[in-house]
Amino acid sequence: MNRILAISGKELRLYFLTPTSYFAFAIYILMSSFMFYVDFVTYQPSIIDYRLILGDMLFMLLIVIPILTMRLVSEEFRQGTDELLLTSPASVTEVVLGKYLASLGVLMLLLACNLVYPAVMSLFGNLNMTTLWLSVLGVFLMGASMMAIGLFASSLSQHQMVSAVAGFVLLLLFWLAGSMTSQNETLSAWIEPFSLPDRISNLTKGVINGPDVIFYVSLAVLFVVLSIQVIERKRWR
Amino acid sequence: MLEVKQVSKRYDGGRGVQNIDFSMRRGEIVGFLGPNGAGKTTTMRMITGYLYPTEGIITVDGLSVHDQARKARSRIGYLPETPPLYPDLTVDSYLKFVAKLRGVPAREQKLRVAEMVSRLGLNGREKQSVRHLSKGYKQRLGLAQAIIHKPDLLVLDEPTSGLDPSQIIEIRSLIRELGENHTVLLSTHILQEVGALCDRVLIINRGELVMDGATDEIGARMENRFAVTLEVGGERERIEMVLGQWAEARGIAAEIRTGPLEPEKSLTVSSAIVESDTDRLAASSEAPDPDCVSENGEPKAASDDPESSTLEKTGLQSAEGFVSSDRQTYSSVRALLTAADQQDFRVELFRLLADADLPILELHKENLTLEDVFLKLTSEPAGLPGKSGGERK
Repeated sequence: MNRILAISGKELRLYFLTPTSYFAFAIYILMSSFMFYVDFVTYQPSIIDYRLILGDMLFMLLIVIPILTMRLVSEEFRQGTDELLLTSPASVTEVVLGKYLASLGVLMLLLACNLVYPAVMSLFGNLNMTTLWLSVLGVFLMGASMMAIGLFASSLSQHQMVSAVAGFVLLLLFWLAGSMTSQNETLSAWIEPFSLPDRISNLTKGVINGPDVIFYVSLAVLFVVLSIQVIERKRWR
Repeated sequence: MLEVKQVSKRYDGGRGVQNIDFSMRRGEIVGFLGPNGAGKTTTMRMITGYLYPTEGIITVDGLSVHDQARKARSRIGYLPETPPLYPDLTVDSYLKFVAKLRGVPAREQKLRVAEMVSRLGLNGREKQSVRHLSKGYKQRLGLAQAIIHKPDLLVLDEPTSGLDPSQIIEIRSLIRELGENHTVLLSTHILQEVGALCDRVLIINRGELVMDGATDEIGARMENRFAVTLEVGGERERIEMVLGQWAEARGIAAEIRTGPLEPEKSLTVSSAIVESDTDRLAASSEAPDPDCVSENGEPKAASDDPESSTLEKTGLQSAEGFVSSDRQTYSSVRALLTAADQQDFRVELFRLLADADLPILELHKENLTLEDVFLKLTSEPAGLPGKSGGERK
């Protein structure tokens, strides 16, 4: 556990020392506030609901998360610091979990930034707190599974750009899983359950649906395990 | 301490190492030599657990690097070819991270980091970001990273590559110091480094271990001849005749070359002479030094310095007997004598030349240097004759 914390501490420190993460945060805040302005101030809805702006925010995660995860493993390979990590007493599992934990920390920060908008909204009317917090939980769960996918993409290459693109493509596949196959009933019955944004709708309505939570958690576990395997495999190269 | 048992690593491309087998005792400093691509880094990576071998077992203190990875790895310190540094971290935070990662107890961490900083001369740079360190300091930080958890075994992959000479000396003295408490395996391209640092040498070529022996013994072990270089004062023709006859009779290869004398030595001698008359007289009269003659006789005569012209005279007079008749003014002959059988012929040679009234100015037994051994072993295809030299337990 100490080693996991050591690694996630280092990762978090590096997040705040590298310009890339500031860039990602800047894009995220700029775009989401722009969307907030369009959705809320210009459009002037007659009800106060977090869901009004949530959809656009979720879409931003699709772009920001690959940027935030791309360096996680790639950079270690490029700098040769994987030799430090892999020859230390820490196991690959600990290394990957440490990194994943750090990425969850960053995700929470992203969510915290986003809480500004409901705060502003609540000045103009009553906001349902249950749906608000369940929405935040939903976004966190979805973001966590997306971070795991990004982490996995990062372990595939030692070039950050390749990792970012691979992460984006993977995320896009999961994102569009629902809408891609909407024409064909049988096909969509198979693929739709894997759609990332569809699973969140229950939570944003204030309903905790077991399968949704399990879906996000197991997706995260799956990709963390895959990342561990990809890195462990390099010892056998 | 370290046991590497019949270890092989195969890559897709067919490179890799085969049947590496050696062991190290506690406190040894072992040099690991080999041409580029011979498998040094691969072997070191397997020892440190970065790569797993395809076959064979590696144990550190009886712990398998593979099966008891955590315990075994905590006893190893590893400095890869490029120090594994995070350019964005500061020196302090980097060392702290490594200390935590390597399982240094929490209350010792601060102390250990401070110890490393002072031991490796990183004082005043604790808050500096690693990116801005010079190469020498990066290397030191790399070493600090490798020893912060006080490992039993230290594996250093080319610790002095890319450093300037003074940094090399510093790192070497550090390694020597570390060798007092740690077992050290180090790979290098610089052969003198092995001579200067290591008790034992391993030479690897094309993935196979071709030599394993004590640094000062391997030269003798590889030796299959007896060779001396000789400098004899006297006329070249006469020496050639005397030596030639004897060598032919004894079956010794004699290669005669009138090599130039060492320039530095003769220069200091001549300048000392110029300094005062008494010195000059003493030197030129008592010592028919061939050095003076060769240096002063030719080039200095051309200068219009009056001192040197007199010098030329005295020099020539006193060394008259040594100036050979052919236009060259060398008064001595250098020769390399090689006997194919390993018999020591030095006494015989001394008598021969003494009888002929030819003074031996210098006699030096030629040992195979590490360089010769290295070239010999690595230029042969692996697995052929060098193998006989390797000592396998």
